[in-house]
Amino acid sequence: MLSESARMTTAREASYRIQYPNSRERAVKVIALDPVAATVLEPISKGAWHGAAFFTSLNFAATATPGQGLDAWLKDVTGHAMNLISEVAASDFVVVITSVGEDARAVSVIADACKLHNKTLVGLIVPREGATDADVTASLADLRPYARMLVVASGADYIEAMLTALRA
Amino acid sequence: MLRKEQNDYLTQTGPGTPLGNLFRCYWMPALLAEELPEPDCPPVRLKLLSERLLAFRDSEGKLGLIDEFCAHRGVSLWFGRNEECGIRCPYHGWKFDVSGQCVEVPSEPVESGYAKKIKLKSYPLIEKGGVLWTYMGPPEKQPPEPEFEFCTVPLNQTFMTKRLQESNWLQAMEGGIDSSHVSWLHRGDLSNDPLFKGAAGNKYNMKDLSPVFEVVENDGGLLIGARRNAEDDQYYWRITPWVMPCYTGVPPRGDHPIHGHFWVPIDDESCWAWSYDYHPTRPLTEAEVSAMRDGKGIHVKYVPGTYIPAANKNNDYLMNRAAQKAGKTFSGIEGIGMQDASLQESMGPICDRTKENLVGTDNGIIMARHRLMRAARALAEKGTIPPGVDPEHHKVRQAALLLKHDVQFKEGAKEALKAKKGVRQTSV
Ligand code: FES
Ligand SMILES: [Fe+2]
Repeated sequence: MLSESARMTTAREASYRIQYPNSRERAVKVIALDPVAATVLEPISKGAWHGAAFFTSLNFAATATPGQGLDAWLKDVTGHAMNLISEVAASDFVVVITSVGEDARAVSVIADACKLHNKTLVGLIVPREGATDADVTASLADLRPYARMLVVASGADYIEAMLTALRA
Repeated sequence: MLRKEQNDYLTQTGPGTPLGNLFRCYWMPALLAEELPEPDCPPVRLKLLSERLLAFRDSEGKLGLIDEFCAHRGVSLWFGRNEECGIRCPYHGWKFDVSGQCVEVPSEPVESGYAKKIKLKSYPLIEKGGVLWTYMGPPEKQPPEPEFEFCTVPLNQTFMTKRLQESNWLQAMEGGIDSSHVSWLHRGDLSNDPLFKGAAGNKYNMKDLSPVFEVVENDGGLLIGARRNAEDDQYYWRITPWVMPCYTGVPPRGDHPIHGHFWVPIDDESCWAWSYDYHPTRPLTEAEVSAMRDGKGIHVKYVPGTYIPAANKNNDYLMNRAAQKAGKTFSGIEGIGMQDASLQESMGPICDRTKENLVGTDNGIIMARHRLMRAARALAEKGTIPPGVDPEHHKVRQAALLLKHDVQFKEGAKEALKAKKGVRQTSV
C-alpha cells in the first residue's frame, strides 16, 4: 500500500488544494528616497496595485512644539501630503527605493517611524546611468543600518517584479 | 506570488519551452562517472529536460548520449548489447555508435548505404570532476567546458552524489537560495553533523536567529548575503552564490569541505539534486568521505543499488515525531538533504505559486525568478546568451567571513568570492 506521503504528493492530490484565499490585502508603502527614484516610481504607481501606496518625496517641517524635532510629510503621486508616521503606522511593511549614488539619507527618518511601529523596512537600490561601484557602496551604506532586506537590482523593472511578488 | 502563466513559464523545461531553451544553453550534470565505469559496461537510461536518453561508454571508452529508442521499431536500447564500438538493438540487430549514427542494419546489404541514412539524435557527453556532463542545445552554440571549482580540483579533493527528488526543479532550487530557512529547519544539525560541527562561525548562527539579508546581482546570477551580529563592530556574513540556471553554493563552515548543489530537471515533476563537496587545497580525509557516503552533511543514504533516498515519500521520510518533540530534529526528519526534500516534495509535483505569500526576506527567490524570466525572454527574442554560460561565471566561491559594519560584502568579500587555485576557502 502507498504511504500517506506518497499519495499526498501526487498531482491528483495537489489538485485538491482548497481554493479559499489564504491572505488579505496588505498595505505596502513604497517611498522614493530621491528625485531620480521618484521619476522611476511615477509610472509604476499608475499600475493596478492592491494595497500599495506610492510616495515620491519626503519633506520636513519643524513641529509646532519646539524640541519635538521634525515633522515628516510624504507626498503621493497626486501631490497630496501625508503624514509619515501615520502612513507607516497604517502599513504592513515599507519599501524604500533609491537610485544608485543619490542621497538616500532620508531613510533614517523613515526607519525611525518603522521602528516606532515595528514595521519591516525593505530597501531597493536601482541603477542610474553613469553610476560607479563606489556609488553602489555609498547607497548600501546609507540603507544598511535600517533595512532588513536590501536588494541591488540591475534594472528598474525589478521594482514591479518585486511588488507583484509581494502582492503589493 | 507568481501568476499561473509565470509559474508555468518557470517550471516547464521540455523541448521548445522558453525555460527549456534556456537550460539547453548550459552544460549540465547528466550522470556520475561511476555509472559508466568502463568500456562496454551496461548502458544507462536517463531522462533530462523531459527527453528520454541512453548513455553508454563504447569499447574504446568513448562516451555517448543518444535517443533511448531504436530507430527501427522503437524498442528501448537499454536492452541493447554494448559491443564492438556501438550499442546493438537486441530486437533485429541494428547497431548505433556514440554519435547516434546507425552503423549496421543487418537486413540490408552494406553496399546499399541504408545504415548511413539513419541517425539517432545525440548530445555530447564529457567527463569532468567525476561527473558526466551534457549540453543539449544547438551544436553551433556549444559553450566551453564547465569550470566550477569542484570539477577542476584533483579527484581526491572532491566528492559528488546525486539523489532523486520527486518535485519540479524550481521548488528544489529555490530551497538552495532560501537562506532564511536554515535557522529553522536545519537548526539541530549545526552542532551534530560531522561535516558542519565545530566551526567557529556556528555560534553566530545559534546566537542570532534573525539574520538580515542583502541580494546583489552579479555576472552569472546572484550573491545572497546573510549577516548576523558578531563581536565588536563586525558582522558575520554568509554568502550564497547562485549561478544561472541551477547551481547553488552553501557558505562554508570552518575547514570543512565546501558544498552545494545542482538542480537538474528530469521532467516537470522530478529533478536530480546533485550535491558536491570539495576542498580547494587538500585531499578529503577518509573520515570525511565515509561521512559523505554515510549520508551526512548534504548527502543522503540510499535505497541500495539506486539513487533514491532511503527516507522517501514511500515510507513517510521515516518521520520521527519523538525526535521532533524532543528538538533533536526540528521537523522530525533526519539529515539536511531529506529535511529539504521532504518539504519540497510535500508542495506537490509542481508548486502552485499563485497561493504563496512571500515576505521581504524572500527577495533572493524573487530576484532569481525575475532573472530566469528575463534571461529566457532575452534568449527567445534576441538570442542573447544567458548569464552563467561563460565559464568565468562558474569561478565563484561561497564564503563565510567577518566584516566591519560599514563594509559592503561584495567589496569586502571580493577576493573570498573568487575561486583561486591553491587558495583555501574563506571561512570561519
Ligand atoms: S513557514 Fe515557510 S513554508 Fe511554512
Ligand atoms: Fe535546506
